[in-house]
Amino acid sequence: MRKIPVIIDCDPGHDDAIALIIALGSDMLDVRAVTTCAGNQTPDKTLNNALRVLSFIEKRPVVAQGALVPIMRELMIAPEVHGESGLDGPELPPPAFAPSSKNADEIMHDILSHASEKITLIPTGPLTNIGILLSAHPEIKDKIERIILMGGAAVGGNWTPGAEFNILVDPEAADIVFKSGVPIVMCGLDVTHKAMIFKDETEKFRQIGNKTGKLVAELLDFFDLFHRKEGFGFAGAPLHDPCAVAYAIDPSLFTSKDYYVEIETKGLHTLGATVVDFKNKKGLAHNATVVLDLDREKFIDLMYRAVKNLV
Amino acid sequence: MKVPVIIDCDTGVDDAVALICALASDRLDIRAITTVAGNQTLDKTSVNTLNLVDFLGSRVRVSKGADKPLNRELVTAARVHGSCGLGGVELPKSRQDFYHKNAVETIAEEALAAKGELQIIAVGPLTNIAQAILAYPSLKGSIKRITLMGGSIDGGNHTPAAEFNIYVDPEAAQVVMNSGIPIVMVGLEVTEKAYLTREEIMELSLWHAKDDRNIAIKALLENMLEICIMFGYKGAVMHDPLALCHVLDESLIKTKAMNIQVETQGEITRGKTVADRYRVTDRKPNALVGLEIDRIRFVELVKELLNKYSN
Repeated sequence: MRKIPVIIDCDPGHDDAIALIIALGSDMLDVRAVTTCAGNQTPDKTLNNALRVLSFIEKRPVVAQGALVPIMRELMIAPEVHGESGLDGPELPPPAFAPSSKNADEIMHDILSHASEKITLIPTGPLTNIGILLSAHPEIKDKIERIILMGGAAVGGNWTPGAEFNILVDPEAADIVFKSGVPIVMCGLDVTHKAMIFKDETEKFRQIGNKTGKLVAELLDFFDLFHRKEGFGFAGAPLHDPCAVAYAIDPSLFTSKDYYVEIETKGLHTLGATVVDFKNKKGLAHNATVVLDLDREKFIDLMYRAVKNLV
Repeated sequence: MKVPVIIDCDTGVDDAVALICALASDRLDIRAITTVAGNQTLDKTSVNTLNLVDFLGSRVRVSKGADKPLNRELVTAARVHGSCGLGGVELPKSRQDFYHKNAVETIAEEALAAKGELQIIAVGPLTNIAQAILAYPSLKGSIKRITLMGGSIDGGNHTPAAEFNIYVDPEAAQVVMNSGIPIVMVGLEVTEKAYLTREEIMELSLWHAKDDRNIAIKALLENMLEICIMFGYKGAVMHDPLALCHVLDESLIKTKAMNIQVETQGEITRGKTVADRYRVTDRKPNALVGLEIDRIRFVELVKELLNKYSN
């Protein structure tokens, strides 16, 4: 069975960590590299977190650090959600291996230029690294199968009323990505707020009996805390980043529709908004598949099977 | 007790239908009707309003307001309302003249006279209302409520992000939303569900009437139906009449208190009414936002009001 070659760009982050675990545990994906960006925490912390998680699950893909700050804005981080380390909750030993001496842009460019087949990019953090890659090396666009990103929201926002966190942190990078012409699948809040996990399901991960299952449960225990905020009205915790990885593994779990999507880079209340032209008012060609719904139970099951495959 | 109101409008086909309904109601004490530029230029919206009021046999004062938004070039909706603003329906010239005071003066005058009971029903861009609030800050304490047709928390109609009235004058809308005056926002979420089907319109007693008044009302409704069906709606969408009807019966619309900020800096998101759905900011709710309507009961009320013209 041909595995799908992917590069994951992430800012672990609890849900990024779980997404990484699913990707490495899945039979369907060939993770060629893991690149890190700044967002949920500072760049050194997100790099360290990626290395610690991969070490723990005993996988050693190439890991490379990307941009330290967004393209033109000051970095905004989310310790309220992910804690001081960016992965507060579980006890994780230090990394067992070192990252590449090359940076994320070089690694991604190397892999894409030399690959004999197209590669899927799965960004689960702010789009800084992808934006830089597409700007600096436009010729490799043809080597990208598609970009399945966790980010945005056709309706609403989670960090501000108008925007989802990843796009808000680097709206200019998002703008570059959405205007690039590379096929995009946008797993935004529209679907991720439906990808809820509930406490009894978290228990099932713990009960798998392997150490990865225990790690996932502990990550979820901590991640759940932020989402108990009254304003959200959530009964569980939304599994944002795992949606993007799950889409790569099995798109049939999801419902989506193609639209023209633009990024607001100048608004005061709408900075970072992903504006979806639902009614085709602009008459422009669709540039993104916007994911709107999923089979939640099958999604949780997909995650469960991937975790069982690991140590 | 009749409710003292000022209706601010940019007549406008659905504004006209709202005025027809308002003038038929025995529950309103319409102190004045003020006009604004929007669906068409001020001259056209004003003449349409003046002619309609006289045509319906009313002596309510009509006061001219702003000919352009606070800070923008005027954008009109000739594509929807036609070059005259009444969808091609011609009315005899009014025998009355405009009230000698302008809209801002009229609003200030009536608010004072009504001793805190005055309500404003605003169904066009909010220029006049904002100007009145800015020129007379004490108005904040003497206007009981502003029920406005405008905005959309999910997606727009004039652009993907914005509803027309708010798009035309976003600065005015932002002034009004943050004025401290109680607001009911009757936006696209509810107005797009407030349609009358062809069958329902044909059940009106005016459908077979032969007098000039009912023939004109029928022509307006037919025009609305034609345009709305062309845009893909199930019937004639009654944006402005819904706002009016909410004042007559608050149980028609289910609302939720939210903080709304209007985007004035974004280009793509100009005029978006950004709702803090998840309480991610600590801004207090400043509007009751319409979320659901009882369409059947709304249709009954509209029919009841329109049928008064054939009794």
